[in-house]
Amino acid sequence: MNEMEFENKLRSIANGMEYPRTPDIAGSVTTRLHTTTRPRFNSKALTWSLTIILVLCSSLMLIPPARAAILEFIQIGVVRIFPQPVTPTIEPILTATPVAQLPTTATSSSLSESLLPILSQMAGKTTLTDAQTKVEFPILLPSYPSDLGQPDYVYVQDADGSMVILVWLDSQQPDEVRLSLHFIPSNSWVINKMGPKVIQETHVNKQRAIWAEGPYPLILWNGNVEFTRLIEGHVLIWADGVITYRLETDLSLEEAVKIAESLKPIQ
Amino acid sequence: MDEPTLIRHAANGDTAAWEPLVLAHQNAVFRLSYLLLGDPDDAEDIAQETFLRAWKYLKRFDVTRPLRPWLLSIASNLASNRRRSAGRYFAALTRAFRDEPASANIEENSSQQMQANDLWKAVQTMSLADQQIVYLRYFLDLSVAETAEVLQVAEGTVKSRLGRALEKLRNIIQQDFPVLVEGPEA
Repeated sequence: MNEMEFENKLRSIANGMEYPRTPDIAGSVTTRLHTTTRPRFNSKALTWSLTIILVLCSSLMLIPPARAAILEFIQIGVVRIFPQPVTPTIEPILTATPVAQLPTTATSSSLSESLLPILSQMAGKTTLTDAQTKVEFPILLPSYPSDLGQPDYVYVQDADGSMVILVWLDSQQPDEVRLSLHFIPSNSWVINKMGPKVIQETHVNKQRAIWAEGPYPLILWNGNVEFTRLIEGHVLIWADGVITYRLETDLSLEEAVKIAESLKPIQ
Repeated sequence: MDEPTLIRHAANGDTAAWEPLVLAHQNAVFRLSYLLLGDPDDAEDIAQETFLRAWKYLKRFDVTRPLRPWLLSIASNLASNRRRSAGRYFAALTRAFRDEPASANIEENSSQQMQANDLWKAVQTMSLADQQIVYLRYFLDLSVAETAEVLQVAEGTVKSRLGRALEKLRNIIQQDFPVLVEGPEA
């Protein structure tokens, strides 16, 4: 088959590609254009924006109903959790997918076929030793459960600060994730969780921590990326200094705390 | 109204003029994003963001040029950034909690579609730059000139890159998807 025949063959095959139905992009874009007045945050503007919000909040605190609304979120490190649906004091971040149309999820640790290739191809994949040389904070590994061992995947992602992600697969079912642990430095990603089904305050090494169970929309943004997804997993969040830790697992709160409290520097 | 007139109106803040332009190009933008990201939700995010960015910078756009390559160029850049972002990881992890794969609504029962999916899988093993050029030329059926506009390179560069990409793709197909080139049309 010469090059022209090969090209024609490719074009012919590609013509058979069936795509998902194109959503109503025009409607969503028009709606967003009509409602968007607030510029997006960028990382440099974020400090100023937060300062302005703090000043605004200080003023609003004088007004009892506003005070009640402002206090209706819990902040752990860079993660802010709104127990109630969006409060009037913090504008909901523009979401590309309206919350009501978010895909439903099922509580299960099983992976779809699409995750493993992404884990393999995701940017920043590295080794534990190399990761430690790239970040200034210590990468900690759980010593509990004893059979956990080292993570199967390690990533260092540039998120206006180097964020580390560790992923452990289930040794019995290697196509399933057992748990993942994120080290998120301050001033990098800002994460909002809107109205998780269960929020429980707990402690990790006597530090305040939050346990959240889905479903809830998770909103992340930095200067470049912003997205919303519906999460139904279990997440333990705590902070220590400038690092926010996010442990995602299907285990119970008690087990998650045990894992969190077992973190030790790489040997 | 023709495209340049609509663009001029939109550049002056007329959202009603922007809407038909979005409608005209949303399919191509969504499909390229889907090919690059493999997830309809991600593709929708990128497609929306593409038209919002384009709207923002519309005053800088030369209305004598076609709009579609410019939009596809924005979409391609955004999708590439998304592929490499941590956000992609979170999105993928979230999909892992779903009952069904995101593409479950696509019936995969025709042999033509199975072939197309196999070709897509083969292309997905290539570098991002190779994927972009293959998607633009063969999946979206853009001309060499349009592809050059999207990739912001000379037409000669498109041809040389395409030649190299095709060679790699041919090897991948022969090794992993030989049935694609062994059919009756081969």
